[in-house]
Amino acid sequence: MKLFKEVFIANIKELLRDKSGMFWLVAFPVIFVFIFGLIFTGNTGQQSYTIGLVLEGSSVINNNIEKALLKNPSFNIRKGSQEEEVNALQEGKRELVIIIPEIGFDLNSQYDIQILYNRDLNGTANIIISSLKEIFYSIERRLTEQTELFNIRPEAIQAKTLSDFDYILPGILAMAILQLGLFGSFQFLNLREKGIIRGLGVTPLSRSVILSSEILMRLIIALIQTILIVFLGKWLFDVQITGNLLQVFGIVIIGALSFISLGYMLITFADSMESGRGIVQVVQFPMLFLSGIFFPVEFFPSYIKPIIKALPLTYLGNALREVMVGIPAQTTMQRNIIILLLWTLVTLVLTIKFWKWE
Amino acid sequence: MAENVIDISNLKKYFAEVKALDGINFSVKKGIIFGMLGPNGAGKTTTIETMTGLYQRDEGEISILGLDPERSLKMLQKKMGVQLQSPSLFPRLKVVEILNLFASFYQNPLKISNVLSQIGLQNKKDSWVKKLSGGQKHRLAVGLAMISNGELIFLDEPTTGLDPQARQDLWNVIRNLKAEGKTVFLTTHYMDEAQKLCDDLVILDKGKIIANGSPEKLINDYFKDRVIELEDMGLNNSFKERIKKEVFYNRLSFEEKKGHVLLYSDQIDKTLKSLFQLADNYERELNDVVIRKATLEDVFLKITGREYRDEAV
Ligand SMILES: Nc1ncnc2c1ncn2[C@@H]1O[C@H](COP(=O)(O)OP(=O)(O)O)[C@@H](O)[C@H]1O
Ligand SMILES: [Mg+2]
Repeated sequence: MKLFKEVFIANIKELLRDKSGMFWLVAFPVIFVFIFGLIFTGNTGQQSYTIGLVLEGSSVINNNIEKALLKNPSFNIRKGSQEEEVNALQEGKRELVIIIPEIGFDLNSQYDIQILYNRDLNGTANIIISSLKEIFYSIERRLTEQTELFNIRPEAIQAKTLSDFDYILPGILAMAILQLGLFGSFQFLNLREKGIIRGLGVTPLSRSVILSSEILMRLIIALIQTILIVFLGKWLFDVQITGNLLQVFGIVIIGALSFISLGYMLITFADSMESGRGIVQVVQFPMLFLSGIFFPVEFFPSYIKPIIKALPLTYLGNALREVMVGIPAQTTMQRNIIILLLWTLVTLVLTIKFWKWE
Repeated sequence: MAENVIDISNLKKYFAEVKALDGINFSVKKGIIFGMLGPNGAGKTTTIETMTGLYQRDEGEISILGLDPERSLKMLQKKMGVQLQSPSLFPRLKVVEILNLFASFYQNPLKISNVLSQIGLQNKKDSWVKKLSGGQKHRLAVGLAMISNGELIFLDEPTTGLDPQARQDLWNVIRNLKAEGKTVFLTTHYMDEAQKLCDDLVILDKGKIIANGSPEKLINDYFKDRVIELEDMGLNNSFKERIKKEVFYNRLSFEEKKGHVLLYSDQIDKTLKSLFQLADNYERELNDVVIRKATLEDVFLKITGREYRDEAV
């Protein structure tokens, strides 16, 4: 235990004194938060969605729903017949079409609100639907409570969850964890290639102590990064963190483990720092783009979809978005976690199989 | 046999087709400074690294402090200190921090201040390892081997790259280790170092031990003779042939590189006389004639027929 402590301290010192390493681990995610934060928040950056509205009736309630929709600044409402609007949707001119039947005052019956959207634009549709739900629920609340029956307040609808930056912030955290896992493995690669690990073979220090102290250190860094990113996003850019921090930590640890394991697996195939860097970049770069951590991937051609569905970063991004800012994913939390754990398991087995100490 | 700290028999180690160690045998008695002398590529590093468990042997027996490094490495690691030839250390740790780290590996380590002063790095103790000069790094590596306080210390070319003063200092450190009752196994490619420092010695060449014994014994065994060196210049081939045929000697060799002819003889008067006679007869001038005692270099030359060279590392 004392040995572990000494090696751990040595590891920390090595890391803290490595300025470029610290830059990638701490400064880089922070800079990312700033850049994306400045680009994607603020009034000008508000994205609007074009929504087709089909009203099958013109009751007072119908009219009020229409008004509420029109008042929402992120909606660009086009009215039309069902046929027109569905055509427009199919041509890609609408993000989504909402069909509202004649709604009377019979509060005992239930009205189906049909929403049509392009299956390929799942994520966007989900965002819109969640804010549509807000609108409808608030109307419903007012109706059933029978107070202020039709006083619709659009400002209550301007859900913060629609900001692009809310989508991106968990992505930045996911990216930071990806980097930590993949680039972090260079620390060991470096020790291995410099012969430091081999040299320690003549001392009583067991090499697994080095490895485990590295892993512990990186898990701690992951948590520090989480705190940094969450609080910067919250205080500087007003991101509404809906989840609790412990849940976020849990997901971060699960994600970090799977990328640390992936990182170690990748360096087993490297025989120098250079080849290590090459291999890691080949893996990291497409992953950043295809996992949808910064933008929804609906518009990628369908033959890429299986790749997207296979990437662990996709699931870490999904999980973090859900638990941090409450953006629902196409995948359930259970599925996200299971797939991350599966990745950890598979890469771990491969790492152990191909591992080299020297 | 119980007092042997190291027993090696028929040790073989191959790297693909390279026979780095081709069946070597030697023993090291407790409490001495044992030297393994040999030119670059002889197999010295391979020997140390096989003895300390970094390489697996292909054949033979190894007993270090009564332990086989392939079977009882954990136990052995606690009892020995090793300085490898190309030491790689955590680059951003301070000297004192890395000594501390290594001290924590052992049950009964030396005091850090003690080691620092022995290796002469007190004023560098707060420098990062990567900021040290080559010689300083080397001394630190020796310090890391010492700090184990192990009863057996392996040093792989500990003085290579040191200036003469630092070399003298390190010799004293090594003699101190012996005075404390430790056994030191060191490799070197410096003849003078082997001759002055070691109690017992093997000469290794191309993976084979070509001679062993104390430095004095080696020189006496191979050279009751003296050496006469003369310059090659102005000696044409036919005259060299005459020297070969007509002068008395025990052994003769032409050193191409240094441009010298060497005559080894146990009857130096007779040799000199016949040599000058020959020169007189053919009206030749003999330049730069030197008579000296044999050294380990001559031993090497005599056994291998090759000149001993300290090729740059
Ligand atoms: N890891 C290795 N792989 C292949 N060949 C090696 C390796 N280590 C040493 N050798 C070869 O083994 C021989 C002995 O090398 P070495 O033990 O380093 O000699 P020395 O330490 O006496 O200079 C050399 O021919 C060297 O090229
Ligand atoms: Mg060597």
